[in-house]
Amino acid sequence: MTDVQKDFAQGRAAPAKPKDEEVITEENVFDRPDETMGFFPGQVYKDGVVATLLLIACTVLSYAAPAPLAGPADTASVDYVPRPEWFFFFYEQMLMFFPGYALIAFGAVAIPTVFIVLLFALPWLDRAPVYSPVRRPFVTIVGVLVIFVVLMNMLLAVSRIINFPGQ
Amino acid sequence: MIGRLRSQTIETGKFLADWMEDRTGVVTQLEHFLYEPVPKRGAWLYTLGSATLFLITLQFLTGILLLFYYVPTTDHAWNSVYYIMNEAYFGQLIRGIHYWSANFLLAVIGLHMARTFFTGSYKAPREINWIVGVVLLLLVIGLAFTGYLLRWDQDGFWASVVGIKIGSYSPFIGPYVTHFLLGGDVVGPATLARFFAIHVWLLPAMIAPFIGIHLYLLRKHGEFGAEFEYTDRISKLHERQREEGYRQHEFEDDEEYDYDDELDDEGGTTHHRRDGE
Repeated sequence: MTDVQKDFAQGRAAPAKPKDEEVITEENVFDRPDETMGFFPGQVYKDGVVATLLLIACTVLSYAAPAPLAGPADTASVDYVPRPEWFFFFYEQMLMFFPGYALIAFGAVAIPTVFIVLLFALPWLDRAPVYSPVRRPFVTIVGVLVIFVVLMNMLLAVSRIINFPGQ
Repeated sequence: MIGRLRSQTIETGKFLADWMEDRTGVVTQLEHFLYEPVPKRGAWLYTLGSATLFLITLQFLTGILLLFYYVPTTDHAWNSVYYIMNEAYFGQLIRGIHYWSANFLLAVIGLHMARTFFTGSYKAPREINWIVGVVLLLLVIGLAFTGYLLRWDQDGFWASVVGIKIGSYSPFIGPYVTHFLLGGDVVGPATLARFFAIHVWLLPAMIAPFIGIHLYLLRKHGEFGAEFEYTDRISKLHERQREEGYRQHEFEDDEEYDYDDELDDEGGTTHHRRDGE
């Protein structure tokens, strides 16, 4: 493989700087990955595979499990128990831990707001130039805990729906 | 004959490409766009972002097709959805793809976020892209919430009633949020019209430019990937720093040595001899 072919394979039109000339410092260490490839065709191919699989899954599911449509909305019915969609299960379940009018505002609005603000502030809460999840254990543990709590809440909601269909 | 056809086709293609390049510069842009170097090792992990984009594109396309039949009034909304599901050509497929790709979208966004979070890809200089991503997440949640009511069936209706009720508990802004969403005192025709406008016009119009910013910033800073994309460079950096540390150490040792020498020189003998040299 000639240099030109190598550059082409790695997605560079111009020849890369010879590696021994470049002095790697704290500032430029993350400028360029060790190994690169051209966006086309390498990444485009992989993206295409995933997109095709998703499209096939959607097509198959739309006949195997058609999109649900319950009876027409009846504004007069009072005993209908609505279910949120599955991605709101954890939120609905979380509200169960804040019963009564005193706490519901806290559970429904205050905690999600704090969470979203923390999400926005994340890049400034964790600023050290360390990237590996192993080398920043605090952030990793917090992230795993959040995912764990969300999944557990979803499981609780599902088990509640199965065990008490009418509530 | 075939050879002449082939060369003619190639020449025509080249002529068209040159013509477009002269007028718009699109060929150069396309080359720049397609041959961008991207990290190689974790390439399958980075398909999550493009999968999100693909699913949102599906949402736009199937959403437009659903609008051909859907009627956003309380009298006809449910009937039109029923018609889509049972009568319209490929109606079940179009609504099915809209429904299932929305479900996949939420899951894939979660995975994409987790990948970004655990690899630390949100760090400088990519903070703004993380923020744009959180905005996109909130917009998608808004779309998921407003889409549920549009079926005007029992599930969507009562779930939205509960959702709006939860919104009314917001401190200070609760009544305003409720009034903005309801357009009245109860969930009714005005609410359906508003949810339709929000789901079909407001949020898609907001999400499109944010997707543009997200992609622009991605290309500006390049895909970060994860630390394992930089293993060789990091080890080279550490090696260099270690070597410099040794050199520093040797240098300090030398200085110490000289210092000792000078102390010895107080004795006088070596000092004079060196002067002599």
